Amino acid sequence: MGFRVRIGLLLLLLLVCQPLSARAAQPADESARPDLTPVFVRLRTAAAGIQSLSSDFVQEKQLAMFDASLLSQGRFLYRQPAYLRWELLTPVASGFVLRGRQGERWNSLSQETSTFRIDSDPMMGIIAQQLLAWARVDIDWLKSRYRIVLLSEQPVRLQLFPRDPGEAGFIEQLQILFAADNSHVALVEIHEIGGDKTLMRFSQVEVNRELPDSDFQAPDFQAPDHK
Amino acid sequence: MNFFATCYRKLEGRRRWLLIGLSLLLLFCAVQLSQLKLEENISALLPDGNSQVAFDFKLLQQAPFARKLVINISAADGIDPQQLLAASDALLAALPAELFHNAINGPGEKLGSRLLDQLGRYLPLLAESADLERIEDQLAPEATRRLLQQDLAQLLQPQGIALKKQIQRDPLGFEALTLQKLRYLNPVPEVRLERGRFLSRDGHNSLILADTPIAITDSQGSRRLLEAFEQARQLLPPGISAELVSGHPYTLANASTIQHDMSRVLMASGVGILLLFVLFLRSWKTLTVYLLPLFSFALALLVVSLCYAKVSGITVGFGAVLLGITIDFGLHVYFALRRGDAPRAELLSAVSRPVLFGALTSLAAFAVLLRSELPGQRQLALFAMTGIAAAVLLALLVLPHFIGQSNPLKRGTRQQFKRHVYDRNPWLRNSVLLLWLLVVVLAGVKLPQLSINGDLRRLSYQSATLQQNEAALSRAWGNMRGRALIFVRGENLEIALKRNEQVWKLLQTEAPAGLVSLAPLLPSSATQQQRLKRWQDFWVRHQPQLREQLLEQGRVLGFSAAAFEPFWSQLEYPPQQFGVTQLKAMGLGDLLENLLLSDADGYQVISLLPDRPELVAALEPKLTAIPGVNLVSQARFGRQLSSEISADFRRFILSAGLAVLLLLVVLFRRLSSILLASLPVLTGLLVMLGGMAWLGLEMNLFNVVASILIIGLGVDYGIFMVCHAQQKEDLASSRAILLSGLTTLVGFGALVLAEHPALYSIGLSVLLGISAAVPTAVLVIPAFRPKRL
Repeated sequence: MGFRVRIGLLLLLLLVCQPLSARAAQPADESARPDLTPVFVRLRTAAAGIQSLSSDFVQEKQLAMFDASLLSQGRFLYRQPAYLRWELLTPVASGFVLRGRQGERWNSLSQETSTFRIDSDPMMGIIAQQLLAWARVDIDWLKSRYRIVLLSEQPVRLQLFPRDPGEAGFIEQLQILFAADNSHVALVEIHEIGGDKTLMRFSQVEVNRELPDSDFQAPDFQAPDHK
Repeated sequence: MNFFATCYRKLEGRRRWLLIGLSLLLLFCAVQLSQLKLEENISALLPDGNSQVAFDFKLLQQAPFARKLVINISAADGIDPQQLLAASDALLAALPAELFHNAINGPGEKLGSRLLDQLGRYLPLLAESADLERIEDQLAPEATRRLLQQDLAQLLQPQGIALKKQIQRDPLGFEALTLQKLRYLNPVPEVRLERGRFLSRDGHNSLILADTPIAITDSQGSRRLLEAFEQARQLLPPGISAELVSGHPYTLANASTIQHDMSRVLMASGVGILLLFVLFLRSWKTLTVYLLPLFSFALALLVVSLCYAKVSGITVGFGAVLLGITIDFGLHVYFALRRGDAPRAELLSAVSRPVLFGALTSLAAFAVLLRSELPGQRQLALFAMTGIAAAVLLALLVLPHFIGQSNPLKRGTRQQFKRHVYDRNPWLRNSVLLLWLLVVVLAGVKLPQLSINGDLRRLSYQSATLQQNEAALSRAWGNMRGRALIFVRGENLEIALKRNEQVWKLLQTEAPAGLVSLAPLLPSSATQQQRLKRWQDFWVRHQPQLREQLLEQGRVLGFSAAAFEPFWSQLEYPPQQFGVTQLKAMGLGDLLENLLLSDADGYQVISLLPDRPELVAALEPKLTAIPGVNLVSQARFGRQLSSEISADFRRFILSAGLAVLLLLVVLFRRLSSILLASLPVLTGLLVMLGGMAWLGLEMNLFNVVASILIIGLGVDYGIFMVCHAQQKEDLASSRAILLSGLTTLVGFGALVLAEHPALYSIGLSVLLGISAAVPTAVLVIPAFRPKRL
């Protein structure tokens, strides 16, 4: 499992870390688009007081590899400054936690837990960075990686096009729907090149709930570590 | 010897013409030598020709990192590895590209993903029998079910987007087997990659590797390089330091030390020579004697530059010092002619005999160096011989016309010495002999403990800082440069790779740990085709069942029937060829450059293994039985060089001894005289070698040449003293020998003040040898046979 994860992460890295030449290739008429600054200010303001997030989510994957959609349920936790828990509960319990620059991932099928460090596992670093950016509503980071189009202002719905040609080789576009109070993301749609699609709906969102350290520990499978 | 007397008479009235002739000669030398370019290359000190050491040395130059600049960046305790890597990036960016070519601090973050994505596709060409056995194990229904479940779990995770294509192409994870082939490709033992940068296992060191256009022997270039590095490292934050480890800091340290040493030594010898002048000569006419080495040096350099296309700076430097001894001929002529109480032509005739024989013995001693394995020593031999020949001719033909009027000792003074001091004081004679015997015994006792060391690094200046930097590099990264190397040559790449496979097979059985080899990753085309055939046969047997199995198990998990079509397609159409082009495209070009070399004669593949003597000894016969294969052990190279120096030394001493003995027989024809004349040289050599042993020093290349010098000078002293005792003319030999010995001591012995190990070593050996030879000549020979006037 560890190897497979690594392959996936590294492949993603390969795509994400291509030279950022897409910046040069962005549409010349970008300056003519509506000014998003007021929207970003609102999002930043709403997210400013967030210390933690706790939510359930439903993920629906429509992949050509499968005859039917893959539905799964999970849990997402975030605590400042850089604590994450991304966990699928069904159909296969699996996920990862991040504590600063290191973390653990697990898979109930193989009953294995492995540790990782985002510095030596760059792909895990990229994923962590993405999730942290959504949780913190880090507009500057998002603007650096995506060309952002405003689809609707209330609720805020953004369409994001990867600037990076590597990432653009995987992902055609993303759509992000924010909650009515703009404090968190309510829906993410990932449209892949080739037509596959992933939807994530967040529910039962609790802002600034007390999240103990134990929430950011991997389940104990009593299996050896695999770096 | 009337020849010189006749010449003297004929040239007596033509001093002006002599002066004009000498000036023209010097001018000619100056013009010729102005275009001379000296080679600053250590190869002059290494055996050439077809010797094993010469061959090994050439191969060692091609070792990975042998020509690389290595910068070790260290972080103090408590500094986060990320800060260290950031500092490493900053330093890398600050290094000027014109001096630091191809500088890298890691393969980059994309290497891993490129390798995983691209290398795995070549599994059909890289899979060995053991890999197929592992694959077969994975084909069991339980195993495939588990792997498909894992695939599903992965696809549901965020990284599933990136994994999807990989899973379709390789659902059972076979391609991971290709990564095992990279295991033997890392020449830096203690490296790990973090964010695509080199990081030591302890997380306290980062590494920058670079090439440079500056030759290791270029001291000026080295200064520029180090200054640029110094400027760049100023950017490093507190707690993070960087050190450059390559030959350049050594070159600069050596050049600076030699420069510093020379000013100190020249100052000391200048003061010493001035003191000798004031004490013994006190006449401006004697300056002509001191000009003799200058003329002989210019002539010797001219001849060497005409005979050799490349003149070694080491030869010239050491030769210049060596030719200081030519002043002896001038001193003997000077004292004989100025102090002797007889017509000048007669005195010249008398002194010409010992001077000529002295020169002949020195020539014979240096002539043995013409047969040296070391090109630098051969050049030095020609240099010294030409200089000695020039000096003796100038001393006997030209000098007598420029030393002023005679100033013989007063007759009264002579009468005082009618009876030798030893006759007047027998206790003094006995004391001298006893002391001499004691010194000889003491030196002789310790002599067997003297060892010879061929390690060239001992001859260069190594400051404590440079040694600490080397040690820190080794601690952080393992022994990057100290491993034994196997060179596999082939007329073309295919032959080289085939032979490399044979070597690899042998290494796996004999030395399974600590190996670096290209063989697992880069098999020959023939092997690739064999493996491909085996791969295809394997899948002909297993594909139908696996296809059914995956379809069924996949259906249970929701996979579509076409989910793994890329996998089946790849089995159907495997890649046909894998090689250097593909490896370079994957970003492994730098690693390949270290281990795969090409030149006009073909290709050379390098493997590394631990440099353990027993391993090298066991492997060598088996490896060298494979055509085109050579094993070079760095540790053994030092031993071989020591053994060559040792053999050279014995041969030189024996040959020089025989040549000198032969000349002494021709000159004296009496055993007692021959033995007496040999006393200074034997004592000098014994004290030099025994003294070094007492001081815990080892013989090196420079001591070998110093020994020849002791032989040349020591025999001269013996010849002069025995002739002095035999001839009726007073040639003032004791005084001349004392002064020439003191001049040599001041000139050479001052080198003991040097910090540079090579200069110090020469200084010390000459100091010991001459300090013993001069008193033996001046005090011990007369004790055995006093001159009676």
